[in-house]
Amino acid sequence: MSEPLLRLEHVERRYHMGGEDVRAVRGVSLSIDAGEHLAIVGPSGCGKSTLLNLLGAIDRPDAGRVLLDGRDVSALSDREATELRLRRIGFVFQRFHLLAALSARENVELPMSEAGLGKRERAERARELLSYVGLAGRERHRPPQLSGGEQQRVAIARALANRPALVLADEPTGELDARTGAEVAALFQRLNDDGTTLVIVTHDEELAAAAKRVVHMRDGLVVRDERGVAPAAAARGR
Amino acid sequence: MWNPHRIRFISDGTMRLTILVPLALAAVAPLAAARAQQPRTIAIDARLAADARLHVGDVVVLAAQPGEAGDTVRIAAITRPNADPSEIAHQEYRVRVHLDQLQSLTAYGDRVHRFAVQSRGGATTGSAVAAIDAAAFGFLAHRSRDVAVETSATFAVVSRFHRAIGVITVVASAIFLLCILLLKVDERRKDVAALRLSGISRATVVKSIVIEASMVALFGTLFGAALGWLATAIVNAHYQGVYRTPLRFALITPRTITFALVLSVVLGVAAGALAALRLARAHPLALLGRR
Repeated sequence: MSEPLLRLEHVERRYHMGGEDVRAVRGVSLSIDAGEHLAIVGPSGCGKSTLLNLLGAIDRPDAGRVLLDGRDVSALSDREATELRLRRIGFVFQRFHLLAALSARENVELPMSEAGLGKRERAERARELLSYVGLAGRERHRPPQLSGGEQQRVAIARALANRPALVLADEPTGELDARTGAEVAALFQRLNDDGTTLVIVTHDEELAAAAKRVVHMRDGLVVRDERGVAPAAAARGR
Repeated sequence: MWNPHRIRFISDGTMRLTILVPLALAAVAPLAAARAQQPRTIAIDARLAADARLHVGDVVVLAAQPGEAGDTVRIAAITRPNADPSEIAHQEYRVRVHLDQLQSLTAYGDRVHRFAVQSRGGATTGSAVAAIDAAAFGFLAHRSRDVAVETSATFAVVSRFHRAIGVITVVASAIFLLCILLLKVDERRKDVAALRLSGISRATVVKSIVIEASMVALFGTLFGAALGWLATAIVNAHYQGVYRTPLRFALITPRTITFALVLSVVLGVAAGALAALRLARAHPLALLGRR
């Protein structure tokens, strides 16, 4: 059996809040294969976002290991973790976090510029990516000139800029209306169909329903891990 | 006939009198008889020319009172007033006439309160001053330079005040800019967090913020300088019109702009660097308020 893309081994994460230790993630073990489409669901405060931060080398576990391509990312220095996020992981945020002063194309080019790609190559790939997410012809628009759904598409294109092995999304439809959210969900589906590994933290049942695997969390623990047939119905049922 | 206000007479360069007398200038052009006698010439200042609607070549009569007989003269030149702040409040006109005409108009004979002597400069001025002082009791000679220093002492103080106000304005504006920059950078905590989470290095974040801050400071200063230049032009145009003087009431010098530019850019870079370093050092999750 081949090595999973991402593996969590007995991962613990504690926070010190109000004089007490809060165990946000409690001994979670999880494997994610390349090409998977996984949704993490659960009530607010159950540790979903903390888990996502650990998967993305943003945060370090207090115990256990996080392995990406067999490499322990929890042992990386800040510089190494930044470099890893640049080249191997794409992020999509609830509030898009695009730079308002830059055009859609420039926002997409930013990670490529940081990775050292040439100007022409950057421009070409940014055009391709914006076309892929359905924003051909909107390259020169700045974020304030775009709708919420369009801004999230730009953010998705930016996440894909350096051909990451993994795309992590934290409530990507949280700021969108139902119709736009469904469009973004369809885009994620297409992304996964084209081979991108997706991990999405969401409260959005429609978005979770589109995933091929749904991980349910409660009180820092994975309480159910559903794969394959009709996880959508299961997600809706909770 | 035009009835003038007070007029200051200045001779043809050898003597300056400050005796103020009423004067009648009767415009008689065209005056065939006068033209035949080739009248002597005078020069009048631009304010008098404008008020009396006189032009070069016009022939007028110089008389002490309106209606009196006088000397018929031709206006040969219209002079511009000096940019002298001490003369701003003086509303009298200046007419350059020949010495004998002046003596006749004033009826002072050869008595004068003061007159100017043009020397060849250097040592001759010193010896001339000494000779005049020694000539008779009550004679007092001054170098024009000393007179200028004495009469402009008030304006030198005013000028220093203006310079101080200018420096305070520039420094205060630069500090204001610094505070705005700090606040603006701080407003972008979440953008910086997103950049850091996307794999953008600390160095790139700091560099981009510092470059942006420098640009804001640079273009802000240039915009401010342009605005200042425009305001200066409006103020000067207004007061030069009111006082009919070429004096400049507001001034932006290259030195002022250089000072403002250097100060703003230095403070802008410092503010940008400070704010950027503070943000870049923070953990992205802390910037997002999740820690």
